[in-house]
Amino acid sequence: MQIGFYFDQTRCTGCYTCVVACKDWHDVPPGPASWRRVQTIERGKYPKPFVTFLVTSCYHCANPACISACPVNAISKRTQDGIVVVDKETCLGKDKCQLCLVSCPYDAPQFGAEPNAKMQKCDLCLERWAEGKKPICVAGCPTRALDAGPINEIKAKYGEVKEAVGFAYNETLMPSLIFKPKLEVLPGK
Amino acid sequence: MATAKSHPSMSEVKIVPTGGCYDCGGRCLHKVHVRDGVAIRIDTDNAEEPQLRSCARGRAYRQQLYSPDRLRFPQKRVGSRGEGRFERISWDEALDTVASQLLLIKGTYGTKAILEVTLSGGVGALHTGPMTIGRLLSGFGGCTPFWGDASAEGAIFAARTIYGTLTNGNTRDDLVNSRLILLWGVNPATSIFSTNTRYYLFKAKEAGVKIVVIDPRYTDTAATFADQWIPIKAGTDTAVMASMAYVIITENLHDQGFLNKYTLGFEKFRDYVMGIEDGVAKTPTWAEAKSGVPSDIIVWLARQYATDKPAALIPGFAPGRTAYGEQYHRMTAVLAAITGNVGIHGGGAACFERPVVGPMVPPGFSKFFEGGNYEERLKQLDVPRRLRKRPHACRLWDFILEGTAGGYPIDLKMAYIAFANPLNQFPNINKGVEALKKLEFIVVHEQFMTATAKFADILLPVTNLWERNDISRPWTGGSYFLYLNKVVEPPPEVRSDRDICRELASRLGIQDPFWDMPEEDAVRWVAETTEDMMPEIVDYERFKRDGVHKIKRPGPVIAFEEQIEDPDNNPFPTLSGKIEIYSQLVADLNNPEIPPIPKHLDPWEGAEDPLSGKYPLQLLTHHHKTRAHSCFDNNPLLNDLEPQSLWISTRDAQSRGIRNGDKVRVFNDRGETIIQAKVTERIMPGVVSLGEGAWYRPDEKGRDRAGSPNVLTRDHYSPGGAWPYNTSLVQVGKYV
Repeated sequence: MQIGFYFDQTRCTGCYTCVVACKDWHDVPPGPASWRRVQTIERGKYPKPFVTFLVTSCYHCANPACISACPVNAISKRTQDGIVVVDKETCLGKDKCQLCLVSCPYDAPQFGAEPNAKMQKCDLCLERWAEGKKPICVAGCPTRALDAGPINEIKAKYGEVKEAVGFAYNETLMPSLIFKPKLEVLPGK
Repeated sequence: MATAKSHPSMSEVKIVPTGGCYDCGGRCLHKVHVRDGVAIRIDTDNAEEPQLRSCARGRAYRQQLYSPDRLRFPQKRVGSRGEGRFERISWDEALDTVASQLLLIKGTYGTKAILEVTLSGGVGALHTGPMTIGRLLSGFGGCTPFWGDASAEGAIFAARTIYGTLTNGNTRDDLVNSRLILLWGVNPATSIFSTNTRYYLFKAKEAGVKIVVIDPRYTDTAATFADQWIPIKAGTDTAVMASMAYVIITENLHDQGFLNKYTLGFEKFRDYVMGIEDGVAKTPTWAEAKSGVPSDIIVWLARQYATDKPAALIPGFAPGRTAYGEQYHRMTAVLAAITGNVGIHGGGAACFERPVVGPMVPPGFSKFFEGGNYEERLKQLDVPRRLRKRPHACRLWDFILEGTAGGYPIDLKMAYIAFANPLNQFPNINKGVEALKKLEFIVVHEQFMTATAKFADILLPVTNLWERNDISRPWTGGSYFLYLNKVVEPPPEVRSDRDICRELASRLGIQDPFWDMPEEDAVRWVAETTEDMMPEIVDYERFKRDGVHKIKRPGPVIAFEEQIEDPDNNPFPTLSGKIEIYSQLVADLNNPEIPPIPKHLDPWEGAEDPLSGKYPLQLLTHHHKTRAHSCFDNNPLLNDLEPQSLWISTRDAQSRGIRNGDKVRVFNDRGETIIQAKVTERIMPGVVSLGEGAWYRPDEKGRDRAGSPNVLTRDHYSPGGAWPYNTSLVQVGKYV
């Protein structure tokens, strides 16, 4: 079984609630490490600009590049739900390694500001699933633009679109993520 | 309160429901996880939809709670006023000093020399200005409060004149019943206004409702919800709407039956619009020259609004925070009336978005005046008369500096400031600095060392939202009450505003049983005595346990539905019983700057002002994504997200040699601020915008280094009382 995310790009207002809710829930301090991030994509020219947002995190790939990149096997994929987790005790730290970050096209591995910070990243709020709750970002999104669940159920509910503005699907890694993308058409009359 | 036991690590975790409640209008439910007396994380509403989910600001509240910058003990000033040098003192010394100063000022000058400044830093029922400092000073013999609602005084003036009531908003769940929604100068994706406005907007959009955003900026709301964005110069909204009326009337798209039945004075308005009154027809070409909106777009918008019914025109307060801002809100209401969109599902009265469900104003707040006879109504609209006793906040600094010598009614000697950061949030900070230096004594209640707190003589550290019990309610779209449970104990020497007032009342010999009630009893008293809560909160313990009481209602509630359905038995609450497009009350003010029908008046510091030669850019002060006014500006988690920056169009940046991220000077005769530029296609050329609320931080030359816009805004009120935060001319240059 594989748990994955759904992101409705047409509903996202770029409000950062998911970012902050995640940092608060997982007690990630202010600073560079952020398990969830929001990219603002601005294109087009006045008076017809195009703006959309892309919420990013670890996508718990079917074939995670980070796992094979890690020299000390600190990263693993859980068989029961496909969640990719990191063992901080084993991780060599950002001053010595960072190979996971280099290998990941989605910048999922995160490092704090402290010396030789260990890798940290989205764990899909695995302890909340144990209580029957969805991840904190999903439960908190003010426009209900996020969802998460077994990827087959997500596909059945939302379709199989694998790309959105600012996001390219990687056929080898197979990120566990489904989109409702924003159409990049300029607003007309 | 529930105890989660299902997960081993959660065994000792207590879940306390409380709120994310600031002056954004949203009132959101927080479920705070507490272990060993420490708030460890936040969850939100998980009941059935629509849930009351909080935004990034609310979710970052632990950073406020446990900030190393919290004020933790009483202090007295030791340096010069405003220098920011303080010394720790005991609570006894602090309270004795405040009490003796109050008595001294009262004995020497009378209580009118005491200025009360309380704003919206507290949005509960108990921990607010009126229920603390206001009540204390009232018991002491009075004080001088300021008047003027920073957010919406223009809308208040307009609502009183046209509808005779401020209760003229539909509940937000009605948006899905519209065919067309015009979001005019309103950005609920960022400024919230009500917790679920965004929720109902995407519901409407996905149901096929067409959404048009009219705004000088391509806001996050425009980016997410708009089918069409219409950029417009600040201060010209009323001109564009007048020309929409011109199109609607000339094309016979107005609802004459509605006008005949429900309104007064349409003919006079028509004469103005058609140019019969003043020789100037308010054509789309006329409006294009002022607003920069192409005339064909104005024609299209007018036709859409008049024919794609029902249509909801949602007027933001921002275009009303301008010179003659009250005209904007009157004009939105007239557009709604001439198209017959008032009092129907999917429409909207388009004036002051106060809901018809529950009062927006919490218990204890002085109610917005409504109704009354001719004389009472006139008193509320007559600005000069209102100024006889108290200052309009936009002129507060002059009031202090000039006093009776300058023709003001009082010489103010002392300021009592709580729930407020007026130096930062009132216009013209540099004048404010001089004014605060002139007073004899200033006491400030604060959580942090704000710009205003630095000017205190006695600075008292107070509790925050999670360190006390209270009740709160949303501005609009609501139908619920929140019980704000105390989550954690405050730091040992930090006290609630209420406790401070109790101590002062005792020192001043004020007998008031209100102060003797323990906090929890006082909260219960609010729930049990407030008119609209009494029938709802029948199980107080349950309310407290759940942290929320959602009022059940069968569907959306529509303002003026009864007036439209049965006007004979339900007149509008105006003197005439009609929607007053022409207001005799306003005519009787006899002020050419407040015409009896809504009109566009060219603003000071607009394109027509000669000053625009020297300062060619219009400054907007938008609500920032990571702040609620000046709250949260010191929150490191939020500050990581989007830095304060000046929005400037690519065209205006290029002509000044400015690149994205460059430091720029923004200046006019009132002041200067230095901040980084966000060069973007998302703002109209000729307009620049700074998020309001950034904490004023002067350098050694007196230039602000925080991008705090009120060093640039003008301290003058609009004739109807609106605060002109969005009427300032500036110049921008690269900082070298």
